[in-house]
Amino acid sequence: MALHRALSYFVREAALNLARSWKISLIAVSTIGVSLFIGGALLLLTSNLERLVSDWRNQAKVIVYLRAGMPARAEGELAALLRQPAWVTGVEPVSAAEARRRFERYFPSVADLVHGWGEEPLPASLEVAFDPGRVDGAAFDTWLQRVRAQPAVGMVDDDRDWVRQLQSALQVVGALGLALVAVLLVAATFTIASVIRLTAYLYRDEIGIMRLVGATELFIRGPFYVEGLLQGVLGGGMALATLYFGYVVLMPHAPRTWLAGALAGAFLPARDQVLLVALGATAGLVGAVVSLRREDV
Amino acid sequence: MIHFYRVSKHYPGGHRALDDISFQVERGEFAFLTGPSGAGKTTLLRLIFRQEVPTSGQILVNGRNVASLPRRKVPFLRRTMGVVFQDFRLIPRKTVFENVSYLPRVLGFDGQRQKRLAYETLRRVGLAHRLKAFPLELSGGEQQRVAIARALVNQPEILVADEPTGNLDPEMAREIFELFLEINRRGTTVLVATHDTRVIERLNRRVLALRAGRMLGDGDTASSDSSAQLAGVEPALSEAVGG
Repeated sequence: MALHRALSYFVREAALNLARSWKISLIAVSTIGVSLFIGGALLLLTSNLERLVSDWRNQAKVIVYLRAGMPARAEGELAALLRQPAWVTGVEPVSAAEARRRFERYFPSVADLVHGWGEEPLPASLEVAFDPGRVDGAAFDTWLQRVRAQPAVGMVDDDRDWVRQLQSALQVVGALGLALVAVLLVAATFTIASVIRLTAYLYRDEIGIMRLVGATELFIRGPFYVEGLLQGVLGGGMALATLYFGYVVLMPHAPRTWLAGALAGAFLPARDQVLLVALGATAGLVGAVVSLRREDV
Repeated sequence: MIHFYRVSKHYPGGHRALDDISFQVERGEFAFLTGPSGAGKTTLLRLIFRQEVPTSGQILVNGRNVASLPRRKVPFLRRTMGVVFQDFRLIPRKTVFENVSYLPRVLGFDGQRQKRLAYETLRRVGLAHRLKAFPLELSGGEQQRVAIARALVNQPEILVADEPTGNLDPEMAREIFELFLEINRRGTTVLVATHDTRVIERLNRRVLALRAGRMLGDGDTASSDSSAQLAGVEPALSEAVGG
C-alpha cells in the first residue's frame, strides 16, 4: 500500500510539473513525437511493402519457355516432369498466340512490336505455380537445373529471383530507417533529459528541503522519472494520433503513387502501436534517469 | 544523544570551519550554540544532520556514527531529528498541510494518518486553522511555526535549530523559544544556534560557545558564578558574541 501511495504521489507531482512547465514540456513531447512519427511512418511503409512482397512471393511462378517447333509430345513430357515435385500446385500451358495476346493487353502502347511477324514472335511457355511454404530451397534449385537441361526448354524465369532482390532492398531500407529512428530517438531522449534537468534545477531548493526532512533519493526523483515517462508516452501518443489522422483523413486524397498505395495497405497492427508508445515511454524514462544520475540533482 | 569527539572541518583552500571540537549533549537536554558570524555554528549543525562530513573526528548522533554513515542511510538519520532554519525553508508551492505532512507521506502513512499527524502538530504550534494557507500568506513567525511543526511531525528525538529567530521581531522570537522549551519539556533534545545573548541569558540553559571554529566554553549562564565547571563561559560567551 505504501508503494501504491508513493506511485500515486509520483504521478500527481509529475502531472503538476508537466502542467506548470507546459511550454518546455511541449517541446520535449513534440521532439519525441516527431521522432516516433517518422519511425511509425517507416514502420507503416515497410510493413505494407513486406505484405505486398509476401503476396507476390506467394503468387510467384516459374515460367518455362519452350523452344520453337517442339512437338506436342515433348511438351507433354516436360509438363509431366514439371508436375513431379510435391510443391508444384499447377502447370498451365501458354501458347505462343496467347503470349502475344497477353503482351498486347499488358503493353498496349508498344503492341506494334508483336505485329507484322510471319510467325508468332513470342515463345510458348509452361507456367508452373507452386506452394512457397512447401518449397525446399536446395531441392527446388536442383529441380530447376534439371528443367533447364531439358532439350525442349529454351529459357526459365524464376519469379523468386526478383522477389528476393526486392526483399533485400526492403531490408536495407528498413535497416536505414531503423538507424534514422534510433538517432532521432537518442536526440529526443537528450531533449527530455535536458527538460527534466532544467525542471529539477528550478526546484533545487525544494529538493534540498525534501532531503533535509529525510526523503530518500527515490522519493525525490520518482516524480521526475514519471514526468519523463509521461512525456514519452504523450510523444508516442502524439505520433500515433498524427499517423492515424494522416492515414484516415489524408491518404484517401493523396495522389495515386506506388508509395501512397503501399502506405494505404493497412494501418499499423495493435502490437506496433503499443511498440511506438512503449518506445516513447522508454526514451522518456531513460532521459529522466540520465538527467538525474548526478548526485547534485 | 549528540557526541562530538575531536571533530574538525576544513574546506579546500585551508579554511578551518571547525577545529578539534569535542562536546556531548545528553538526551532531553536543551543547549544553546552561540558565537559570532563565521564561528562555525551552522557548520556544526550541518555536521549533525549530515549535510556535511567532518574532515576528522567522530560524531555520534543517537548512537549512529554520522561521519561514516553511508549516503543511502542519511535519510533515515534525518527522520529521527527535526531541523529548523532561520529562513524557514518551506516549500512555497505547497500548503501548510502539505509542508507538514511531507515526511509522513515519505514514510508511506495513509492519508488519514498524514492528516491527523499534521493537524495535531500544527495545533501544538497554534496553527491548526491555517492548514490550507500557502507559506507566503503567513507572517514570519507563523512560517517559522510551520517549519517547527514540520520538524516535529515525526516526533523526533532531536531538534536542531539554526538561528530560528534571526528573521523575527522580539515578541515572535519569544514565542518561538517558548515553543522550543515546551518541546524540550516533552523529552526532545534541543540544540539551538543563536547569537541572541538576551535569550540565552533569560532562558538560563547550557551554552556551547564557539569562536573561529574553536570551542571557547561550555556551561550554564545562570550558575556561572558558582560552578567551577563553567568558569570562563561568560567571558567566552561575551567574547564569542562580541558583547
